[in-house]
Amino acid sequence: MPFWKNLSVIRKIVQLLAFVFLVYGSVFVGFYSADKISGAFPALACAYDAKTADYCVLIPLQHQFGHLLGPAISAGVFGLSVIMPIVTTLVSFLVLFVLLNKAFCGWLCPLGFFQEVIGMIGQKLRINRSESLDSSLIDRIRPVKWLMLLFLVILFPLASGLGFVGHELGDPFCKICPSRILTSLAAGQLNQLYIDTSSIGFMILSIIADTMFGLILVLSLTMRQPFCRICPMLAMHTVFKRVGLVRLVKSYTSRCDKCGLCAKACPMDIREIHTSKEKDILFPDCTLCGRCVEFCPDKGVMALKYVTIPIKVSDPQYFKARNKAQKAWEGKKPASRKRGMV
Amino acid sequence: MTGATLVVVLFSFTSHAAMLWAPAPAKHGHGGHDRHAAKLFKLIDGQGASVQLINPQLKSMEMAIEQGVVKVKSTGMDNYHALVATRSGNGVNESAIRYVYQFGKPSGESPSNIMGLEKSKLEIEPSPYAREHWRYQSGTEARFILRFDGKPLANMEVEFTTSNGSEKKVKTDLAGRFVVDLPRDFAEVNAGRMANHPAELILTAGHSVAGERHLTTFSADYHVNPDNWQSTQLGIAAVAGGSLLAGIILLALRRRENR
Repeated sequence: MPFWKNLSVIRKIVQLLAFVFLVYGSVFVGFYSADKISGAFPALACAYDAKTADYCVLIPLQHQFGHLLGPAISAGVFGLSVIMPIVTTLVSFLVLFVLLNKAFCGWLCPLGFFQEVIGMIGQKLRINRSESLDSSLIDRIRPVKWLMLLFLVILFPLASGLGFVGHELGDPFCKICPSRILTSLAAGQLNQLYIDTSSIGFMILSIIADTMFGLILVLSLTMRQPFCRICPMLAMHTVFKRVGLVRLVKSYTSRCDKCGLCAKACPMDIREIHTSKEKDILFPDCTLCGRCVEFCPDKGVMALKYVTIPIKVSDPQYFKARNKAQKAWEGKKPASRKRGMV
Repeated sequence: MTGATLVVVLFSFTSHAAMLWAPAPAKHGHGGHDRHAAKLFKLIDGQGASVQLINPQLKSMEMAIEQGVVKVKSTGMDNYHALVATRSGNGVNESAIRYVYQFGKPSGESPSNIMGLEKSKLEIEPSPYAREHWRYQSGTEARFILRFDGKPLANMEVEFTTSNGSEKKVKTDLAGRFVVDLPRDFAEVNAGRMANHPAELILTAGHSVAGERHLTTFSADYHVNPDNWQSTQLGIAAVAGGSLLAGIILLALRRRENR
């Protein structure tokens, strides 16, 4: 299969370009551009990276809850100067999000790309991969992203601004975010990889951050995208997913019940895409990577669309070629095809 | 160090230098969280100087100076503003420049515009200046360009001093660039960013052309390096611990699957 027909390869190229732009982009577009482009990028691009060209919406949101809304509630003074920055951030996020929907996760997020690259290394090292997690474990993990959004992005920063908790919890998600460590390391900085001994709160947060980064490094070798499953950005995208222009649709057929290859191909283990009879199958955990469409063997059953324009539609010929390319990549013998994972 | 003592220290160790900006002590203390509060700056050795504030869109406004202090109120515009004092007389042209971050509506302009704007004939341009989540810190490098008439000045000496007492001279390269190693010269370092007050760094340059003497200063604050309370070695150890933990988890899962 030529690489330019392979959606996964095209996606990797886009992810690589996005990674270069988001980690080193200021070299091309100017040092101050991160402050200028949006400050509301809907993926984990970190402002602590000295060379970044744009940064993630979770940074201004936490700061606005902590430094603007909290103190304003405390003082009982509300005004446009409090509301407008939050509204501006959310509207900027929404404008960018509408363009690509949750594809910001699957196509542009530097941390998502990093985890996939580690996974590819794991495949090449022939480390026995757990392609799917246990369904009960998945069900237990799924609410975590909502708790991360609610507590780490909204409630703790707000409580810090109100004075109920210490300033350690002013931007707690950034304090534990593995993308902060990743992108700053990729930019040649060691200054975000630390244990902070200035207070118990900072020490706990930094231990969580570094330990989680170590966990992601190793788990990504054998498990697909471990951090994405608990990322608050995924939850935030879900809140707005109806307005995004990129759609994932399905035309259910009775053959779907017996197949299930789409669910096996899904890096986020969304088994519902296999069983769903709905047309809209953009589930909360979806990152719009398009693997389910690639590995659907039936013509026209699944499609990735931009509004109504098809970007990728499932096709038996493509499926055969893609499956073959996958086996070749994994170095599996043809005999293992039937039971092989996609 | 309080603002008042900082000004006294600056007075004492820059007695030989040109005029310069330093933060002035606020009359009424506040928590420091009101991002729109006015900021006070003292113009040291600045008798007879005129002062302008230039906003990110490069529009300037005259500033009143009272007892050597300028009050910079919010302009309602976000990003860096330039506080520029100039004075000419007796064949000497002096300038003092400081960048002040203001919160407000997005200006839509890059800070490079105001940094690059020619504000005086002789000028020290930070290249780059700090942006959000960045600041000058002890133990790190700060980069600048020395310009005259908007063009880089090569092989010129620039004097670097700090309010903590450090002094050294640096030289510009052929492109007018120079690098300053910000010294670890804080006498007392407490654990935590909020527990340490910043100090002042001052760069002074002079240049004579056609019988005219030009003097300029650039001042900014710099902070204690967080590596005093943030350990990278421990951070690497924690990452290794997390990796080990992941290995144990995976082994346990494998064993369970095999059973």
